[in-house]
Amino acid sequence: MKFSRRQFLHTSAICSFGSLAPSFLQKTAFTAASKKVKTDRVLVVLQLSGGNDGLNTIVPYADDEYGRNRSTLRLQAPEVHKIDSYCGFHYEMKAMWEQFQDGHVSVIQSVGYPKSNRDHAGALRDWYTAYPHDENCETGWLGRSIEYANQVDHTDLPGVLVGNISMPLALNAERTIVPSIRRLDQMQFQQEPLSADIHKTDNALLDFVNQQTSIALEKSRKLTNITKDIHSSVEYPPFQLAKTLRTAAQLIRADIGVCIIYTALGGDGFGGFDNHASQRDNHAALLRQLSESVSAFINDLKHDRLLDRVLLTTVSEFGRTLKENGRRGTGHGAAAPMLAAGAQLKPGLIGQCPSLTDLDDGALKHQIDFRNVFAALLDQWLCIDSKEILGVSFDPIPLFQS
Amino acid sequence: MKNQNAAFDPQWAWESYVPSDERPWTLKWVGHLYRRAAFGASWEQLRQAMEEGPARTVERLLNPSGNTDEFETSFDEYESAAANSDSTEGLRAWWLRRMIQTPDPLKEKMTLFWHNHFAIDCGKVKSGVLALQRLRLNREDALGNYAHLLQAIVHHPTTFLALNAEKNRKVLPNDNFAKKVLENYCLGPDMVSEQDIHETARAFTGWFLIRNECRFLDREHDHTNKRILGEEGDFDSQDVINIILRRPDAAQFIVRKLYRFFISEVEEPAHSFLEPLVRLFTADFNIKKVITVILKSNLFFSETAYRKRVKSPIEYALEIVRGFEANVSTTHLGNDLKALGQDLFHPPTVKGWLGGRHWINSAALIGRCNLAHALISNSAPYEKQLAFDTVFEKYKCKSDEESCQFILNLFLQDDLDETVRKQLYRSTADKKPSSWLQRFTIDVLTCPEFQIG
Repeated sequence: MKFSRRQFLHTSAICSFGSLAPSFLQKTAFTAASKKVKTDRVLVVLQLSGGNDGLNTIVPYADDEYGRNRSTLRLQAPEVHKIDSYCGFHYEMKAMWEQFQDGHVSVIQSVGYPKSNRDHAGALRDWYTAYPHDENCETGWLGRSIEYANQVDHTDLPGVLVGNISMPLALNAERTIVPSIRRLDQMQFQQEPLSADIHKTDNALLDFVNQQTSIALEKSRKLTNITKDIHSSVEYPPFQLAKTLRTAAQLIRADIGVCIIYTALGGDGFGGFDNHASQRDNHAALLRQLSESVSAFINDLKHDRLLDRVLLTTVSEFGRTLKENGRRGTGHGAAAPMLAAGAQLKPGLIGQCPSLTDLDDGALKHQIDFRNVFAALLDQWLCIDSKEILGVSFDPIPLFQS
Repeated sequence: MKNQNAAFDPQWAWESYVPSDERPWTLKWVGHLYRRAAFGASWEQLRQAMEEGPARTVERLLNPSGNTDEFETSFDEYESAAANSDSTEGLRAWWLRRMIQTPDPLKEKMTLFWHNHFAIDCGKVKSGVLALQRLRLNREDALGNYAHLLQAIVHHPTTFLALNAEKNRKVLPNDNFAKKVLENYCLGPDMVSEQDIHETARAFTGWFLIRNECRFLDREHDHTNKRILGEEGDFDSQDVINIILRRPDAAQFIVRKLYRFFISEVEEPAHSFLEPLVRLFTADFNIKKVITVILKSNLFFSETAYRKRVKSPIEYALEIVRGFEANVSTTHLGNDLKALGQDLFHPPTVKGWLGGRHWINSAALIGRCNLAHALISNSAPYEKQLAFDTVFEKYKCKSDEESCQFILNLFLQDDLDETVRKQLYRSTADKKPSSWLQRFTIDVLTCPEFQIG
């Protein structure tokens, strides 16, 4: 009796959900327990809310079809930062274009999915869950990844939301509470709890909370030290996104085990990128914020030799229609490029430029399914078995240097 | 140790606890009772319970005396007024306020239990009025009749809306809906076959949601024979629920959850151990009868139950507020509890809040401690809300030592490790005098012993 009780204490202290989980939970637990999640690597997912116009982000300036369909929104050759003789970055994206030249930014072309949704709520759902057209899926792809890291490696706090937005479905998890961080002091004790000497009691639950308290204390102190450290700061531009990414960089620098960070540009839900009218200036301003903030983030991490550990990627629920509408804006489209930043990326353009003549109801067809991109992020970056997260096997796209 | 072993004899376990020299009625057990059957207690309540003993105290929690009607009526009105929007934020604030002020805390606690058992994300419902209707169903039968409650909830518009079953056509029975209802509300997972699920979905055909109301269209109902859990006939949805309720598994499922809620999250009790409760529940699905046995039992007042649950964020925060006999902005509190993982009306999935150790990770722990800090130190957004000094005056703490002891009695019933106690006093000894009692209190409320209950 005594022996088995002790044994029970021991196992439940190690196993993060142990005997507390009703038996039905253990059945849904992930099976691939052998693989080690790469907790020293970080994935930052940056949502461009509202559906980003990919064609005016990576601009096919030399394509006649582009010019013909965009009478007021088209960018001329001198207005783009050229990648090649066909396409280039929007004129406000100089900073990112320079990072592209240095091999720290890559472009994944024509990403979308079959029968893609054209309304915000539906398309967001599809991207968030990574189970397109399954309205019964209740959790997000990153929420499930967080849970996976939690269960397979017993990682405390694998994922966080950073910034001034509400928790997206992408991070929703069945069990794990994913924190939303607006300011770093939310992750620091206002008054440190008594640091319990970790002596074992006869209550496994109390032991568990004791242990978690010392973990939390350590993390809180690490963050306090980071925020005290002022001379490491690289200049960030005066945008909200830059502030958010600076917070993300501090979380990474503090080394508190966070490996998934989510944030957004363009506001909550369907936001700033949804330009049905007078798109030009609004879109340009957002792209400038994106470009300069991400570039500062890259420089900051590079400065601290942390860029090797970080991968940032943008997501957006859809691109825009090729043809502009009569109000100098664009409609909801389909495929669009994803922008990725990091030090281990395959440089340049990944995948093919979208066809501007073979359209699907006015929108670009996808050539890469977003779940093939997610598979690369999960399998090859975070070392999380993508099949467990996406339900079926998707071949990872060649995103990294071999 | 003797008692702990004896706890595994079901007959002893479910018999009523009678204080004895060996197992005396102490403050420890009063605090325990008020943590589980209420959202904590004031010192006055603890003191009264100490005097009255377990039987009378449990009786009072089950059947609160005095005028509860007036309270309920006025809060019903506040809630109705708050339900006039698609968002549930107003409702959330009023419900939290109700939990803090109610003269019938066990009812609110059980309402929360059912809110979690019949979990849906009200974000999908997009109607405060419907969300409130559902809350009221849960409250009306919180300690009432489970069979009635289950029928009402399953057939409520919110269930169809949240589980994507607004149109149950004869040609398109919704297996996913049937599966979620059977597995999450009725029997638990893996208790039914694919066929049971499909036949249940067929029994639900004919239900349509029209302008947020449930309508049964007979021509869309599949009238052919169905075979569900061994019974056969032209069943409709109500028949299915009745068939389920005839299964002992249905009662077992609820009793097991009640065990987790009131006794312990640490151990899964054996089938045979719960048998007396299951038998009692199966007889007439009277929820109150089962809870009465649980709250009076030897097992409830034993080490098997004591500090064997992680407090949910709501329990954690409300025990502080009720301990200080305070009122705080529940609009802000609702937001803070959401950040800690417990957003009323929005559990993460149809499985509800799984709780237990999942409540705790380093971020959640820091958040809980910072919430306690904000409440006690009256910092943003809780400025001037919790009058910290009042309780010390009210209960006539004459010295610093008495004030410290009062806090330890109120929140931990003085049950803490001696090394922790030493640390508590040491850490406040060298702090500046003006706010040292606040610091001491925050230390108590952020120590691991206060995170569990």
